[in-house]
Amino acid sequence: MPELSPEEQERYARQIGPGVLSPEGQLCLKRSTALIARAGGMGGPAAMVLVMAGVGRVIIAHGGRLSSPDLNRQVLGSEEALGQPRAESFAQRLRSLNRFVTVDSVDHEPDDEEALALARRADVILSCAPGFAERMRLNRAAVTAGVPLVDAAQWGMSGSLVVVRPRQTACLRCLYPQQPDFEELFPVVGGISSALGSLAGLEAIKILARTGEPLYGRLWTIDAYHGRTSILNLRRDPRCPCCGSENPQGGDCPSFRLGENGTVPFDAQGGPQS
Amino acid sequence: MNVRLMITGRGYPAAESLPANLTLADSATLDEALQAIAGLLPEGEAPSGNCLVAVSGMHLGTVRDHRPHVLGDGDELVLVAPMAGG
Repeated sequence: MPELSPEEQERYARQIGPGVLSPEGQLCLKRSTALIARAGGMGGPAAMVLVMAGVGRVIIAHGGRLSSPDLNRQVLGSEEALGQPRAESFAQRLRSLNRFVTVDSVDHEPDDEEALALARRADVILSCAPGFAERMRLNRAAVTAGVPLVDAAQWGMSGSLVVVRPRQTACLRCLYPQQPDFEELFPVVGGISSALGSLAGLEAIKILARTGEPLYGRLWTIDAYHGRTSILNLRRDPRCPCCGSENPQGGDCPSFRLGENGTVPFDAQGGPQS
Repeated sequence: MNVRLMITGRGYPAAESLPANLTLADSATLDEALQAIAGLLPEGEAPSGNCLVAVSGMHLGTVRDHRPHVLGDGDELVLVAPMAGG
Protein backbone atom coordinates (compact mmCIF):
# COMPACT_ATOMS: atom_id res chain seq x y z
CA MET A 1 0.00 0.00 0.00
CA PRO A 2 1.68 3.27 -1.05
CA GLU A 3 2.36 5.81 1.67
CA LEU A 4 3.24 9.46 1.30
CA SER A 5 6.97 10.04 1.09
CA PRO A 6 8.53 12.92 3.05
CA GLU A 7 8.82 14.80 -0.26
CA GLU A 8 5.14 14.29 -0.98
CA GLN A 9 4.20 15.38 2.54
CA GLU A 10 6.17 18.56 1.97
CA ARG A 11 4.54 19.12 -1.43
CA TYR A 12 1.01 18.81 -0.12
CA ALA A 13 1.49 20.45 3.29
CA ARG A 14 -0.68 23.46 2.42
CA GLN A 15 -3.71 21.32 1.59
CA ILE A 16 -3.65 18.99 4.60
CA GLY A 17 -5.41 20.24 7.68
CA PRO A 18 -8.79 21.31 9.09
CA GLY A 19 -11.30 22.22 6.40
CA VAL A 20 -9.22 20.79 3.59
CA LEU A 21 -7.78 17.27 3.33
CA SER A 22 -6.89 14.82 6.07
CA PRO A 23 -3.64 12.86 5.78
CA GLU A 24 -5.81 9.85 4.96
CA GLY A 25 -7.60 11.88 2.30
CA GLN A 26 -4.31 12.82 0.72
CA LEU A 27 -3.38 9.15 0.64
CA CYS A 28 -6.73 8.41 -0.99
CA LEU A 29 -5.84 10.87 -3.74
CA LYS A 30 -2.53 9.13 -4.28
CA ARG A 31 -4.29 5.78 -4.63
CA SER A 32 -6.91 7.16 -7.03
CA THR A 33 -7.32 7.37 -10.76
CA ALA A 34 -9.21 10.18 -12.51
CA LEU A 35 -10.35 10.09 -16.11
CA ILE A 36 -10.75 13.45 -17.84
CA ALA A 37 -12.46 13.41 -21.21
CA ARG A 38 -11.20 16.39 -23.21
CA ALA A 39 -8.44 18.37 -21.60
CA GLY A 40 -9.27 21.66 -23.31
CA GLY A 41 -10.74 24.84 -21.87
CA MET A 42 -12.34 23.16 -18.88
CA GLY A 43 -10.66 19.76 -18.78
CA GLY A 44 -7.19 21.32 -18.89
CA PRO A 45 -7.58 23.33 -15.68
CA ALA A 46 -9.37 20.36 -14.11
CA ALA A 47 -6.40 18.14 -14.96
CA MET A 48 -3.96 20.69 -13.57
CA VAL A 49 -5.90 20.88 -10.32
CA LEU A 50 -5.91 17.09 -9.95
CA VAL A 51 -2.26 16.65 -10.86
CA MET A 52 -1.11 19.42 -8.53
CA ALA A 53 -3.28 18.02 -5.72
CA GLY A 54 -1.60 14.62 -6.02
CA VAL A 55 -4.15 12.31 -7.64
CA GLY A 56 -2.06 9.21 -8.29
CA ARG A 57 -3.03 8.64 -11.90
CA VAL A 58 -4.68 11.08 -14.26
CA ILE A 59 -5.84 9.88 -17.66
CA ILE A 60 -6.63 12.53 -20.25
CA ALA A 61 -8.43 11.77 -23.50
CA HIS A 62 -8.35 14.34 -26.26
CA GLY A 63 -8.00 13.93 -30.00
CA GLY A 64 -6.66 16.23 -32.68
CA ARG A 65 -3.87 18.74 -32.88
CA LEU A 66 -3.61 22.07 -31.12
CA SER A 67 -4.78 25.00 -33.24
CA SER A 68 -4.64 28.75 -32.78
CA PRO A 69 -8.30 29.23 -31.76
CA ASP A 70 -7.73 26.75 -28.90
CA LEU A 71 -5.35 29.14 -27.19
CA ASN A 72 -8.02 31.56 -25.97
CA ARG A 73 -8.89 28.99 -23.28
CA GLN A 74 -6.83 25.78 -23.42
CA VAL A 75 -4.31 26.49 -20.67
CA LEU A 76 -2.30 23.32 -21.33
CA GLY A 77 -1.49 24.61 -24.79
CA SER A 78 1.21 27.03 -25.86
CA GLU A 79 2.49 28.82 -28.93
CA GLU A 80 5.28 26.24 -29.14
CA ALA A 81 2.78 23.35 -29.14
CA LEU A 82 0.69 24.62 -32.05
CA GLY A 83 0.19 21.80 -34.54
CA GLN A 84 1.18 19.08 -32.08
CA PRO A 85 -1.17 16.29 -30.96
CA ARG A 86 -3.09 17.70 -28.03
CA ALA A 87 -3.18 14.64 -25.79
CA GLU A 88 0.54 13.94 -25.48
CA SER A 89 1.48 17.61 -25.53
CA PHE A 90 -0.96 18.30 -22.70
CA ALA A 91 0.24 15.21 -20.81
CA GLN A 92 3.85 16.42 -20.97
CA ARG A 93 2.80 19.77 -19.55
CA LEU A 94 0.92 18.04 -16.75
CA ARG A 95 3.87 15.78 -15.93
CA SER A 96 6.03 18.88 -15.56
CA LEU A 97 3.75 20.04 -12.73
CA ASN A 98 4.16 17.11 -10.38
CA ARG A 99 6.72 14.31 -10.49
CA PHE A 100 4.74 12.29 -7.94
CA VAL A 101 1.81 11.51 -10.24
CA THR A 102 1.36 9.46 -13.39
CA VAL A 103 -0.30 11.04 -16.40
CA ASP A 104 -1.57 8.84 -19.22
CA SER A 105 -2.84 10.18 -22.51
CA VAL A 106 -5.40 8.84 -24.96
CA ASP A 107 -5.04 10.56 -28.33
CA HIS A 108 -8.66 10.26 -29.44
CA GLU A 109 -12.20 10.47 -28.17
CA PRO A 110 -13.11 7.02 -26.80
CA ASP A 111 -16.05 5.14 -28.29
CA ASP A 112 -18.61 3.38 -26.09
CA GLU A 113 -16.48 0.32 -25.48
CA GLU A 114 -13.30 2.20 -24.69
CA ALA A 115 -15.14 4.74 -22.53
CA LEU A 116 -16.49 1.92 -20.40
CA ALA A 117 -13.08 0.25 -20.18
CA LEU A 118 -11.53 3.54 -19.06
CA ALA A 119 -14.37 4.15 -16.62
CA ARG A 120 -13.70 0.79 -15.00
CA ARG A 121 -10.12 1.89 -14.33
CA ALA A 122 -11.21 5.19 -12.81
CA ASP A 123 -12.47 6.30 -9.41
CA VAL A 124 -13.99 9.47 -10.82
CA ILE A 125 -14.77 10.72 -14.33
CA LEU A 126 -14.68 14.35 -15.41
CA SER A 127 -16.74 15.06 -18.50
CA CYS A 128 -15.55 18.23 -20.20
CA ALA A 129 -16.59 17.37 -23.73
CA PRO A 130 -17.96 19.88 -26.23
CA GLY A 131 -20.95 17.87 -27.41
CA PHE A 132 -23.87 16.02 -25.90
CA ALA A 133 -23.19 12.73 -27.69
CA GLU A 134 -19.81 12.45 -25.98
CA ARG A 135 -21.16 13.63 -22.63
CA MET A 136 -23.95 11.08 -22.75
CA ARG A 137 -21.41 8.38 -23.64
CA LEU A 138 -19.39 9.27 -20.55
CA ASN A 139 -22.58 9.36 -18.49
CA ARG A 140 -23.48 5.84 -19.66
CA ALA A 141 -19.98 4.61 -18.88
CA ALA A 142 -20.03 6.20 -15.43
CA VAL A 143 -23.44 4.78 -14.53
CA THR A 144 -22.55 1.34 -15.85
CA ALA A 145 -19.22 1.28 -14.05
CA GLY A 146 -20.68 2.79 -10.88
CA VAL A 147 -18.15 5.63 -10.92
CA PRO A 148 -19.03 9.21 -9.91
CA LEU A 149 -19.25 11.68 -12.79
CA VAL A 150 -18.47 15.39 -12.68
CA ASP A 151 -19.89 17.12 -15.75
CA ALA A 152 -18.79 20.64 -16.62
CA ALA A 153 -20.44 22.63 -19.38
CA GLN A 154 -20.13 26.15 -20.75
CA TRP A 155 -21.44 28.67 -23.23
CA GLY A 156 -20.24 32.25 -23.59
CA MET A 157 -19.57 33.53 -20.08
CA SER A 158 -21.87 31.03 -18.39
CA GLY A 159 -21.50 27.46 -17.28
CA SER A 160 -22.75 24.66 -15.11
CA LEU A 161 -21.57 21.77 -12.99
CA VAL A 162 -23.46 18.55 -12.31
CA VAL A 163 -22.14 15.81 -10.04
CA VAL A 164 -23.66 12.35 -10.49
CA ARG A 165 -23.62 9.57 -7.94
CA PRO A 166 -24.69 6.67 -10.15
CA ARG A 167 -28.14 5.27 -9.45
CA GLN A 168 -28.50 7.46 -6.40
CA THR A 169 -28.73 10.95 -7.92
CA ALA A 170 -29.90 12.25 -11.28
CA CYS A 171 -27.67 11.38 -14.21
CA LEU A 172 -27.33 13.47 -17.37
CA ARG A 173 -29.95 11.37 -19.13
CA CYS A 174 -32.41 12.14 -16.33
CA LEU A 175 -31.87 15.83 -17.12
CA TYR A 176 -32.00 15.50 -20.89
CA PRO A 177 -34.40 12.73 -21.95
CA GLN A 178 -33.88 13.96 -25.50
CA GLN A 179 -30.34 14.78 -26.48
CA PRO A 180 -30.07 18.51 -27.20
CA ASP A 181 -28.46 19.77 -30.36
CA PHE A 182 -25.28 21.65 -29.67
CA GLU A 183 -22.85 23.29 -32.04
CA GLU A 184 -19.23 22.10 -32.01
CA LEU A 185 -17.97 25.68 -32.22
CA PHE A 186 -19.62 28.04 -29.76
CA PRO A 187 -18.66 31.34 -28.18
CA VAL A 188 -16.63 31.04 -25.00
CA VAL A 189 -14.22 33.15 -22.96
CA GLY A 190 -11.31 31.38 -21.28
CA GLY A 191 -12.02 32.82 -17.86
CA ILE A 192 -15.28 30.89 -17.47
CA SER A 193 -13.64 27.72 -18.83
CA SER A 194 -10.86 27.89 -16.27
CA ALA A 195 -13.27 28.66 -13.43
CA LEU A 196 -15.52 25.73 -14.26
CA GLY A 197 -12.63 23.36 -14.87
CA SER A 198 -11.06 24.26 -11.54
CA LEU A 199 -14.37 23.76 -9.74
CA ALA A 200 -14.88 20.43 -11.50
CA GLY A 201 -11.43 19.38 -10.33
CA LEU A 202 -12.27 20.47 -6.81
CA GLU A 203 -15.44 18.37 -6.83
CA ALA A 204 -13.38 15.36 -7.92
CA ILE A 205 -10.89 15.97 -5.12
CA LYS A 206 -13.71 16.13 -2.56
CA ILE A 207 -15.08 12.82 -3.84
CA LEU A 208 -11.73 11.06 -3.94
CA ALA A 209 -10.45 12.40 -0.62
CA ARG A 210 -13.80 11.91 1.17
CA THR A 211 -13.91 15.50 2.31
CA GLY A 212 -16.48 18.26 2.20
CA GLU A 213 -19.89 17.88 0.59
CA PRO A 214 -19.77 16.96 -3.09
CA LEU A 215 -22.49 18.52 -5.21
CA TYR A 216 -24.19 15.17 -5.70
CA GLY A 217 -27.67 15.61 -7.14
CA ARG A 218 -27.31 19.33 -7.69
CA LEU A 219 -26.65 21.58 -10.65
CA TRP A 220 -24.59 24.70 -10.09
CA THR A 221 -25.10 27.39 -12.70
CA ILE A 222 -22.67 30.26 -12.94
CA ASP A 223 -23.76 33.19 -15.09
CA ALA A 224 -20.64 35.33 -15.06
CA TYR A 225 -22.06 37.62 -17.76
CA HIS A 226 -24.76 38.86 -15.40
CA GLY A 227 -22.94 38.09 -12.14
CA ARG A 228 -25.51 35.53 -10.94
CA THR A 229 -25.36 31.99 -9.67
CA SER A 230 -27.80 29.39 -8.46
CA ILE A 231 -27.83 25.83 -7.22
CA LEU A 232 -30.70 23.58 -8.27
CA ASN A 233 -31.73 20.34 -6.58
CA LEU A 234 -32.05 17.79 -9.35
CA ARG A 235 -34.85 15.28 -9.71
CA ARG A 236 -33.84 11.75 -10.58
CA ASP A 237 -36.14 10.19 -13.16
CA PRO A 238 -37.20 6.68 -12.11
CA ARG A 239 -38.01 6.00 -15.78
CA CYS A 240 -34.57 7.12 -16.95
CA PRO A 241 -33.39 4.69 -19.62
CA CYS A 242 -29.86 4.98 -18.27
CA CYS A 243 -30.13 4.87 -14.48
CA GLY A 244 -33.83 4.55 -13.70
CA SER A 245 -34.83 2.44 -10.72
CA GLU A 246 -37.47 0.80 -12.90
CA ASN A 247 -34.75 -0.85 -14.97
CA PRO A 248 -31.84 -1.23 -12.52
CA GLN A 249 -30.09 -3.94 -14.51
CA GLY A 250 -31.05 -3.04 -18.05
CA GLY A 251 -31.55 -0.15 -20.41
CA ASP A 252 -28.59 1.75 -21.75
CA CYS A 253 -26.48 1.16 -18.69
CA PRO A 254 -26.43 -2.41 -17.38
CA SER A 255 -24.60 -2.26 -14.10
CA PHE A 256 -21.89 -4.59 -12.95
CA ARG A 257 -20.43 -2.79 -9.98
CA LEU A 258 -23.60 -2.54 -7.94
CA GLY A 259 -24.03 -4.02 -4.51
CA GLU A 260 -26.62 -6.70 -3.81
CA ASN A 261 -29.25 -4.08 -3.03
CA GLY A 262 -28.77 -2.38 -6.37
CA THR A 263 -26.78 0.55 -5.03
CA VAL A 264 -23.30 1.64 -5.90
CA PRO A 265 -20.86 0.47 -3.22
CA PHE A 266 -19.85 3.86 -1.89
CA ASP A 267 -18.19 3.99 1.47
CA ALA A 268 -19.63 5.80 4.48
CA GLN A 269 -18.04 9.10 3.49
CA GLY A 270 -19.60 9.10 0.05
CA GLY A 271 -16.55 8.10 -1.95
CA PRO A 272 -16.52 5.07 -4.21
CA GLN A 273 -15.15 1.95 -2.60
CA SER A 274 -11.77 1.07 -3.96
CA MET B 1 -47.88 38.25 -8.20
CA ASN B 2 -44.24 38.58 -9.14
CA VAL B 3 -41.83 35.80 -10.05
CA ARG B 4 -38.11 36.41 -10.32
CA LEU B 5 -36.65 35.23 -13.60
CA MET B 6 -33.21 33.86 -14.37
CA ILE B 7 -32.34 32.57 -17.82
CA THR B 8 -28.84 31.29 -18.34
CA GLY B 9 -26.80 29.01 -20.54
CA ARG B 10 -26.65 28.82 -24.31
CA GLY B 11 -28.05 31.84 -26.04
CA TYR B 12 -28.53 33.98 -22.93
CA PRO B 13 -28.13 37.23 -24.92
CA ALA B 14 -31.50 36.46 -26.54
CA ALA B 15 -33.11 36.82 -23.12
CA GLU B 16 -31.78 40.34 -22.56
CA SER B 17 -35.19 41.78 -23.36
CA LEU B 18 -36.89 39.91 -20.53
CA PRO B 19 -37.66 41.66 -17.24
CA ALA B 20 -35.99 40.55 -14.03
CA ASN B 21 -39.44 40.04 -12.54
CA LEU B 22 -42.39 38.48 -14.31
CA THR B 23 -45.84 39.72 -13.32
CA LEU B 24 -48.42 36.94 -13.45
CA ALA B 25 -51.94 36.30 -12.19
CA ASP B 26 -52.16 34.82 -8.71
CA SER B 27 -51.76 31.05 -8.72
CA ALA B 28 -50.39 31.08 -12.23
CA THR B 29 -48.94 27.78 -13.37
CA LEU B 30 -45.49 27.06 -14.66
CA ASP B 31 -46.92 26.51 -18.13
CA GLU B 32 -48.55 29.93 -18.03
CA ALA B 33 -45.26 31.48 -16.99
CA LEU B 34 -43.43 29.75 -19.84
CA GLN B 35 -46.06 31.01 -22.28
CA ALA B 36 -45.62 34.52 -20.94
CA ILE B 37 -41.85 34.29 -21.39
CA ALA B 38 -42.22 33.04 -24.96
CA GLY B 39 -44.55 35.97 -25.67
CA LEU B 40 -41.98 38.49 -24.43
CA LEU B 41 -39.10 37.15 -26.51
CA PRO B 42 -38.45 38.15 -30.12
CA GLU B 43 -40.06 35.87 -32.67
CA GLY B 44 -38.12 32.65 -33.08
CA GLU B 45 -36.31 33.05 -29.74
CA ALA B 46 -38.59 30.89 -27.59
CA PRO B 47 -36.68 28.78 -25.04
CA SER B 48 -35.57 25.40 -26.36
CA GLY B 49 -37.68 22.43 -25.33
CA ASN B 50 -34.52 21.02 -23.76
CA CYS B 51 -34.05 23.94 -21.36
CA LEU B 52 -34.00 22.76 -17.75
CA VAL B 53 -36.71 24.30 -15.62
CA ALA B 54 -36.51 24.91 -11.87
CA VAL B 55 -38.64 26.86 -9.45
CA SER B 56 -37.06 28.17 -6.26
CA GLY B 57 -34.23 25.69 -6.49
CA MET B 58 -36.29 22.61 -7.38
CA HIS B 59 -35.70 21.04 -10.78
CA LEU B 60 -39.00 20.16 -12.43
CA GLY B 61 -37.87 18.83 -15.81
CA THR B 62 -37.45 20.48 -19.17
CA VAL B 63 -39.53 23.10 -20.96
CA ARG B 64 -40.89 20.28 -23.11
CA ASP B 65 -41.54 17.76 -20.32
CA HIS B 66 -41.93 18.95 -16.73
CA ARG B 67 -44.01 18.39 -13.67
CA PRO B 68 -47.07 20.62 -13.28
CA HIS B 69 -46.45 23.35 -10.76
CA VAL B 70 -48.38 26.29 -9.34
CA LEU B 71 -46.17 29.31 -8.79
CA GLY B 72 -46.22 31.51 -5.73
CA ASP B 73 -45.40 35.16 -5.21
CA GLY B 74 -41.65 35.59 -4.85
CA ASP B 75 -40.70 32.31 -6.50
CA GLU B 76 -37.59 32.25 -8.65
CA LEU B 77 -38.05 30.66 -12.06
CA VAL B 78 -34.76 29.45 -13.55
CA LEU B 79 -34.33 28.27 -17.13
CA VAL B 80 -30.98 26.71 -18.01
CA ALA B 81 -30.45 26.36 -21.74
CA PRO B 82 -28.33 23.33 -22.68
CA MET B 83 -24.60 23.89 -22.48
CA ALA B 84 -21.65 21.68 -23.34
CA GLY B 85 -17.93 21.93 -22.77
CA GLY B 86 -14.76 22.22 -24.77
